[in-house]
Amino acid sequence: MANSNLPRRIIKETQRLLSEPAPGISASPSEENMRYFNVMILGPAQSPYEGGVFKLELFLPEEYPMAAPKVRFLTKIYHPNIDKLGRICLDILKDKWSPALQIRTVLLSIQALLSAPNPDDPLSDNIAKHWKANEVEAVETAKEWTRLYASGA
Amino acid sequence: MGKERGREEQVATVRAVLGEGTPEMDIIRALHLAGDDPTRAINILLDFHHGPPPQRSPSPSPRPPAGKPTKTHTESTLPTKTPAQSKPVAENPRPSLAPTPMLKPTNGSGGEHWWLIGSVEMAGLSTCKGRRLASGDVVTFSFPNSAIVATAGKSRPGRPGLASCSSEIMRFSTPHHGEVGRIPNEWARCLLPLLKEGKVKAEGLCKSAPEVLSIMDTVLLSVSVYINSSMCRGQKQSAPKATRAATEDSTFHPLPALFKLTGLAPFKKATFTPEDLYSRKRPLETMQSSAPAIKLTTEKLRLSSGGNEDDQGEGTVSDSDLDDIIGISDSSALEERDPPDALQCDLRPYQKQALYWMMQLEKGSSCQDAATTLHPCWEAYKLEDKRELVLYLNVFSGDATTEFPSTLQLARGGILADAMGLGKTIMTIALLLADSSKGCITTQHSTQICEEASGLGELPVQPHDAVKKLAIPFSFSKFRKPKAPLIAGGNLIVCPMTLLGQWKAEIEAHTTSGAVSIYVHYGQNRPKEASLISQSDIVLTTYGVVASEFSNESSIENGGLYSIHWFRVVLDEAHTIKSSKSLISLAAVALTADRRWCLTGTPIQNNLEDIYSLFRFLRVEPWRNWALWHKLVQKPYEEGDERGLKLVQSILKPIMLRRNKNSTDKEGRPILILPPANIEVKYCDLSEAEKDFYDALFRRSKVKFDQFVEQGRVLHNYASILELLLRLRQCCDHPFLVLSRGDTQEFADLNKLAKRFLHGGNGAVNGDSSVPSRAYIEEVVQELQKGDGECPICLEAFEDAVLTPCAHRLCRECLLSSWRNATAGLCPVCRKSMSKQDLITAPTDNRFQIDVEKNWIESSKICFLLRELEVLRNSGAKSIIFSQWTAFLDLLQIPLSRQNFSFARLDGTLNLQQREKVIKEFSEDKSILVLLMSLKAGGVGINLTAASNAFVMDPWWNPAVEEQAIMRIHRIGQTKSVSIKRFIVKGTVEERMEAVQARKQRMISGALTDQEVRSARIEELKMLFS
Repeated sequence: MANSNLPRRIIKETQRLLSEPAPGISASPSEENMRYFNVMILGPAQSPYEGGVFKLELFLPEEYPMAAPKVRFLTKIYHPNIDKLGRICLDILKDKWSPALQIRTVLLSIQALLSAPNPDDPLSDNIAKHWKANEVEAVETAKEWTRLYASGA
Repeated sequence: MGKERGREEQVATVRAVLGEGTPEMDIIRALHLAGDDPTRAINILLDFHHGPPPQRSPSPSPRPPAGKPTKTHTESTLPTKTPAQSKPVAENPRPSLAPTPMLKPTNGSGGEHWWLIGSVEMAGLSTCKGRRLASGDVVTFSFPNSAIVATAGKSRPGRPGLASCSSEIMRFSTPHHGEVGRIPNEWARCLLPLLKEGKVKAEGLCKSAPEVLSIMDTVLLSVSVYINSSMCRGQKQSAPKATRAATEDSTFHPLPALFKLTGLAPFKKATFTPEDLYSRKRPLETMQSSAPAIKLTTEKLRLSSGGNEDDQGEGTVSDSDLDDIIGISDSSALEERDPPDALQCDLRPYQKQALYWMMQLEKGSSCQDAATTLHPCWEAYKLEDKRELVLYLNVFSGDATTEFPSTLQLARGGILADAMGLGKTIMTIALLLADSSKGCITTQHSTQICEEASGLGELPVQPHDAVKKLAIPFSFSKFRKPKAPLIAGGNLIVCPMTLLGQWKAEIEAHTTSGAVSIYVHYGQNRPKEASLISQSDIVLTTYGVVASEFSNESSIENGGLYSIHWFRVVLDEAHTIKSSKSLISLAAVALTADRRWCLTGTPIQNNLEDIYSLFRFLRVEPWRNWALWHKLVQKPYEEGDERGLKLVQSILKPIMLRRNKNSTDKEGRPILILPPANIEVKYCDLSEAEKDFYDALFRRSKVKFDQFVEQGRVLHNYASILELLLRLRQCCDHPFLVLSRGDTQEFADLNKLAKRFLHGGNGAVNGDSSVPSRAYIEEVVQELQKGDGECPICLEAFEDAVLTPCAHRLCRECLLSSWRNATAGLCPVCRKSMSKQDLITAPTDNRFQIDVEKNWIESSKICFLLRELEVLRNSGAKSIIFSQWTAFLDLLQIPLSRQNFSFARLDGTLNLQQREKVIKEFSEDKSILVLLMSLKAGGVGINLTAASNAFVMDPWWNPAVEEQAIMRIHRIGQTKSVSIKRFIVKGTVEERMEAVQARKQRMISGALTDQEVRSARIEELKMLFS
């Protein structure tokens, strides 16, 4: 019943996400609440997260698409732009949101963020410092975390 | 072979005990586990057996009926203890058995904190062989660790819930003999969860047993059950909630079940019980039928109105339907109460009645009826304890308390549902002034406060899992973090953004200065310190702010609305929270408050379910329980069982006040005399040029439509058909609206007609208007001509497409609504900034890129309108012009400026300050005669009584929305007689829309669902193209 109020845009996006999923990304709406999505992103190749399966949750607020979706990592991840609660520092999720963006583009951006961590705009100070001070070691930690927490088991 | 036979014999032995129904595989498996010892195998099976084996088993000692002392076995029991027989057995023979520490017998005395519920006899089953038990022996109870059993439970697949069943085994043992037997399942089922949490304790004595026990013998026990007083006092605190969440969906609550087994009958029964829920046999003769519905004056408005599309694609309940559903209160007998001195205006008698009514509802405990009426879902029990305790038990939640749960303990407040225009705002202000004891929170309610404060995530009734899912990710911290004590606050008024200014203005205007302090909690930079917010007597905020503070993870640390315990929360336009799963609905429920009010003229907008959300917010018991609501109200109602409706009416009766303009006072006079409203339909004709244009457009559209019909693909092309209709409807307003659309190429044969139309104006089409980045646009135009592409915002085919200077195409409305500012913003695609003037109406062919200013010509509808406005000009009467297309409002600005009408404009692109400013200007500036207004901007709450004329330029699909917009004028405060004129162009789709509307209201709603609706829709679409 409550889902009947779902804007057509969300319905369309959902259909497309399900019918033509983006490579390495899966997003499916919860049955009870079509605004809540369970998301899985595969760690991009050649990144420290390669081989990992990362779970995220995505929620479309009432104002969507005029307001950005809320996205959070559920899987622990060692990344300078993602904090320990899984919150993501990504401009398009904040002030750079545009209604022309979609769930798909948001998730692709997050996937890209995994490929290109940006320690200069950190959300997690410690990890960012680590990254800057000793990138090799930080990447190793990220790989280790991927193995520990995101190995898909 | 011998072994084979042995196995068969063993199986037969086990079967003989457990009954024929026991599957052979299970028995064999058990035998295997038991090392081929049938006795042990029986024990294993019994432990995992869910059903009550005694019934099935040919037990040598049939269980005596509970409560009747049986002597049969006592005679054979020698009182002599013969320990020789018993081997030394450890207290806990099985590692998986955990002794319960609080179960040490204390010689029957309950102790200060243990209250005796009752003593009963129960028939335990012996699980051992050869042990001896004497009457008077003290037995202790123990139960296995569920985890261990759960794994073992896998040995019997296909038994859902086995793991949890098997954890419901409760054994009894004696200090001397160790485990002796187990108590009946039904007892274990309710005792176990309570024992585990230390809420009850049980003390047992053996009453009688066979001299030497063998398996399945009956051991008669006398058991005294005590309830811990902390369970009753502290039940409102959150401790037991955790366990309750697990059993949320099941309706099994151990405590009521225990009471039943104990044979304790309530001396006061609950009005609603879970049994009602399942049998739905609740007698309804006590329910009052609603007062006969009274037709509104606006009824005739609806009859004559056309169109029935709701933009949200949902049927909306009209006022008179609403009256049928929820009834009108007969309030004429209510007492009146004079408003407090601080109120700077006179209340009408019916408003004084409302004030009295509201104050009565708020009195709660001191309100006699409510105080002495037992809350409908609680039962009262007298415990057997010598202290003569009365215990109240909630039959739905299983909570217990010793405090009298009165009806109003939970719901203080109600729904003020007076029809629009009766002055709900001023009545509420009177209430705020009359009783605003800020910070005085009565101790009686402090327990509830705790519950509410701690109960944020525990929304006592979580209708669906979705609620949890929705609430958890974004307010996660609220569940985990220890609560800071709440700060006592004053009144919180939550309203739609558009009404924020009006509330402030009305409070200021109607109260003596300094009587109350007002603070508007709104905007990006609003302070978060609860101490600051709570200082004001009245805090005004919007639903958006409430929702965002609710979902904001850090709101607890930051303070905000959720760290305040409000004296009173008022939801204005409370139907905003109607969808129970929406964030805003959850957010509103989670506010902590002593008194709660819902103001709404439309408590039900689309669905009876809407009102559930209000009940949940108001804490109306037991209807916060979604399952109960659904079973008893929602489902019967949907199935046409009128008991559902009657039940709603009876729930509403005490907590809702609803009068409409036709309500009368004691003497039978109308409570409110509004100046008359005259609604008329103005039929206009198209000019010849317009008619040619329309006809060509219509023929064109019809060909397309007929193609769809032939192909049987009407519903697959729904969007295209709606677009065809949209174009026809817009054409009735002004052909420019169609000409300015992007796909004129498709209507190439219209070129000549269009030219002719334009020639009627001032000359040739101006094709050379300077279009920025022309070459670039050509590319886009190519795509456009192919007819594909979709708006990147709504993902639909373009509607009134515009091109940005950066050559991105979007629907005009989509683009404008993405801007914070009405005149300029960023391109949503590439973030280039631009202003509204930079936008180009998407062209296909240069000839049709019209410069409307230069080529201006009035359409017949506009001519009609101008004539009407001219008549009104000298009287100084103000008018509102409604259209559903902002593009048409744009067009209307041209003739209005040319004819020197000064006007204001209110549409969806304005933010709060701008709206307020526009409304203020229009209301106060005598020179502004006209307000151009889009439907969406004018929907809710706005008071525009400065105007006495309304012109509805185009029919809306949904008459309820139209009605609501018009009621902005025809409402309390209106002193002049009101004239409403609706323009319908004869012989066009507009006229047929009215016919279709009469046929069916829900035509052309958004999402398509079932087959019937589809075929009905096709029929209706055919009517429109006839």
